[in-house]
Amino acid sequence: MGRVVEASRAPAVETRDYRPLRFGRLREFVERESVFSWLILTPPILFLLLFLGYPFFYGVYLSFFRREVTGPATFVGLGNFVTLANDPIFWQSVGNTVKFTGAATVLKAIGGLGMALVMNQNFKFKALTRALLLLPFIVPTVLSTVAWQWIYDPGLGLFNRLLVTSGLTKTGFSWLGNPTMAMISVIIVNTWRGLPFFGISILAGLQTIPVEQHESATIDGAGTWDRFRHVTLPSLLPVIFIVTTFSVILTFFDFQLVYVLTGGGPANSTHLMATYAYSLSMGAGQMGLGSAVALSMVPVLGLLLVLLTWYVRKD
Amino acid sequence: MATSKNAKTGRRDFLKLTAGAASVAGIAGAPWIARKVEAKPSTIVFARESSYVKNFDEHFIKVMIPAYQKATGIKIDYQIQAAGGSAVPQLVSMVENKSGADLAWTQQEWLYRDALVDVSDIAEAVGKEQGGWYDEIKLLSVDNGKWKTVPQANIGQLMVYRKDWFEEAGIKQFPDTWDEFLEAGIKLKAKGHPYGMSMGHGFADNYSWLYPLLWSHGVTVMDKAGKKVALDSSETVNVVEYVKRLYKEACIEDCIGWLDPHNNKAFLTSQISCTNNAYSIMVSAKRDLPDMGKVIDHGLNPRGPAGRFHALVPVTHGVFAYGTDPQAAKDFLRWIMDPKQYRPWISSGDMYFAPYLHAFDKFPDWDIEPRVKPYHKVLETGKLTSWPAPANRAHGAVINRWIVIDMFTKACTGTPTKTAIAEAVTQLKQIYG
Amino acid sequence: MVGELTWRKRLLGLWVPLALFYVVALFPFTWMAATSLKTNAELYNPKAGPLSIQHPSLVHYISLLQETNFLTWVANTMLVAVVATGISLLLGTMLAYPLARMRFRGAPLLAITVAITYLVPQSLLFVPMADLIGRLKLGNTLSAVMLTYPTLLVPFIAWLLMGYFKTVPKELEEQALIDGASRWRAMTRVILPLCMPGFISAGIFAFTLAQNEFLYALLFLSRSDVRTVPIGVVGELIRGDAFYWGQLMAGALLGSVPVALIYSFFVKYYVAGLTAGAVKG
Repeated sequence: MGRVVEASRAPAVETRDYRPLRFGRLREFVERESVFSWLILTPPILFLLLFLGYPFFYGVYLSFFRREVTGPATFVGLGNFVTLANDPIFWQSVGNTVKFTGAATVLKAIGGLGMALVMNQNFKFKALTRALLLLPFIVPTVLSTVAWQWIYDPGLGLFNRLLVTSGLTKTGFSWLGNPTMAMISVIIVNTWRGLPFFGISILAGLQTIPVEQHESATIDGAGTWDRFRHVTLPSLLPVIFIVTTFSVILTFFDFQLVYVLTGGGPANSTHLMATYAYSLSMGAGQMGLGSAVALSMVPVLGLLLVLLTWYVRKD
Repeated sequence: MATSKNAKTGRRDFLKLTAGAASVAGIAGAPWIARKVEAKPSTIVFARESSYVKNFDEHFIKVMIPAYQKATGIKIDYQIQAAGGSAVPQLVSMVENKSGADLAWTQQEWLYRDALVDVSDIAEAVGKEQGGWYDEIKLLSVDNGKWKTVPQANIGQLMVYRKDWFEEAGIKQFPDTWDEFLEAGIKLKAKGHPYGMSMGHGFADNYSWLYPLLWSHGVTVMDKAGKKVALDSSETVNVVEYVKRLYKEACIEDCIGWLDPHNNKAFLTSQISCTNNAYSIMVSAKRDLPDMGKVIDHGLNPRGPAGRFHALVPVTHGVFAYGTDPQAAKDFLRWIMDPKQYRPWISSGDMYFAPYLHAFDKFPDWDIEPRVKPYHKVLETGKLTSWPAPANRAHGAVINRWIVIDMFTKACTGTPTKTAIAEAVTQLKQIYG
Repeated sequence: MVGELTWRKRLLGLWVPLALFYVVALFPFTWMAATSLKTNAELYNPKAGPLSIQHPSLVHYISLLQETNFLTWVANTMLVAVVATGISLLLGTMLAYPLARMRFRGAPLLAITVAITYLVPQSLLFVPMADLIGRLKLGNTLSAVMLTYPTLLVPFIAWLLMGYFKTVPKELEEQALIDGASRWRAMTRVILPLCMPGFISAGIFAFTLAQNEFLYALLFLSRSDVRTVPIGVVGELIRGDAFYWGQLMAGALLGSVPVALIYSFFVKYYVAGLTAGAVKG
């Protein structure tokens, strides 16, 4: 029975283990693939059930109740959802979230693709560049957002100072005060933050495209643009799809950025569903209503993802 | 400064009172100072939003906390909450988690009164010894006959303006009516000195002019019983149209998103000529920008057909029931409201915080700076934002969801006036049930 | 890259865009640094050049470190991130290993359930989570976040690790089993050690996510001495009407340094992790 495993293939297993195992029957049972698997799976599943499953079901449950802070919970069925359906700010937050997610994702994808294409060349300091360009994504969102708040300041911020001193505009823009500008400002910060994530992931995808494919395309007379469209892009599609899906989910749920930059204003023009849910629950103490907003996020996101998948599959 | 004789009598009475209260609470009638020999918490956590008047917080940190520690051995952990709206979610979170501060500046207390302990003993004692409470504040702090919070002071809100710029534009007196106010603003904006009237999701600088604006036109949000929505009056359309004009023709574009700190910032960086604010702008200017400090003045809220109104911005302290030792927190609260501590503390704030006690009506500090006197008028005539309805939880929801504020900002950003009003009314009906 | 590269092509195709990316990615940090080194007089002077510093001063850093709990926040953040990452790696491995390498009834259902957890917003969970934390009497303790962060990290780590685990050939495991090792031994002594790079990259990714978390920290940690850097900086550096911009920028910069340092050592693994997930899926 005992045979030493070749060292080149795997770490040596000690000879001690080659004795017949005690509790033979029990051991045999545990060694069964399914039993072993479930035993290993038990701790993480229990943990997730307690800390993820319980809050999830409770959260869903809460959205059917009227529950104000320090107050009792009274069942209202679909009452919260009816209230939200008649709440113009709720609909505004839905629209804002979709706009924000859509615009930022498109910008990030295009920018990331561009970044990946540029980085896919040979140059010195490539590793350093990769590291530095990822910084916006690494640094805690709140901290860089605080810097952006100052950058957007109407009087002393970088943007308006540059605009005014260069003579492009007389007074600069109201980046965080004008409702339309505020949404643009928020999208800019999110794009700035997330672009490197797209860039690096797509770069990896680019680097797995076999060189032969490019070579045979060139031999067939394809120019740079054609090569890009017919060789590069199709191979990249799976990577782009996965990264985009991931990014859509995270962007859709985003809370920190808007919370710190605008608080949802001005005039609710940047209120996302996440910030509105928070505002209702923790600002107004209406926790049932806040939970209803949060629960509503799931179908809206689901719809977005279905649309995304359909759009990608179309090609 | 308060005479020592009054303070001595006050203290004696206070000691008697607390001894009585302590024995009632089941503890052998020892005066509160000696109680330190019993098992006491070593730290009491006190959460307050940071004051716009730096000296006030500093006096508390440098003078009062060490004094309390010396007297009782208890350390006060002063948790400063960032200004601009983060205090309320924090307070709600503390109440929900049943952990956090032991006592706090209980902003928006109408949301969570049930989580506060009864402080009637403290409030009644303080009222008795310091001239009695203003009636209006009782509407907030007293819930079902019991005091749930002890009012500390009112933050008066008035129109703060640049006298020099107004005079340059030919306006010698601060506008008396809302129409004059609008005209003046148009002239000033034309000269590059627009108004900055806060209309964002703050708690003071928006409510303190928008609600008085409504009231002075005979419009209230709810009726006196708090049952029927009163916002859908015919005058409301005129008021909303007025605000639209004011915003477009007299104000800086940004102000529609301003929280409470923003207008201070804009004023101190010379971007606006007038805003509704507390005394803090003048205090900051006098300290850091003395030339500007000389030309700042305060005007009463303009009057409308139904009169002149001001809003109260109450600062109250409450003790949380979840705390490990609410009684110790109450003792501390009683201590800071004792004239010996309270009067110097109020002084350090340059009357930014104006006590709701009649003993302070003739407080000498009101006379140090003549331009602060109008804030006392606010105290005399001001109303809670809930006026005339009860200051209950539903009102809290309306305030914290900015239903009425949003009505104005929606109209200013393109929503038809009638729609904005109708939407607000629907929301009010839903909240008040 | 295939194709002829002229000097001009390289300039336009590489150097110019690269410079652009550099500027865009890094200018906020430069701005942070410049602002944090200016005195208040310069900071609020509308005539001073935005990025030029006439009289550099460390006054904001000093007051940040002396007058606030900043260092405590940094220590808290690091501790929480390390512990949460450790817990998540452990649980993530236990979740990913069977799903990646074993066959058992219920595997597809479990895999789908884990995938669906991505679609659950924190916004739905935070009120019940607060209730749970309150009941467990963990409010205002670092344990509150150490236990709740893994709920965000475990599904993601599991997904990353599954990719890595799948790349180890089945034969190694089978060989070890034939040689008489138990499954447990095979897993811990044979397969997992080979996945070290995967653990490092998953761990680094989790670490950066953990120290970036905001909502739960905001809700559970209201006392200053237990706060993490994100909520401390945002929650305490606005005094009255004064946005203490100098301190805020100093705090933002200093707060970014630990994670940037750690990540710079492991960037190779970080990138590998990002791309493994995306490419190998």
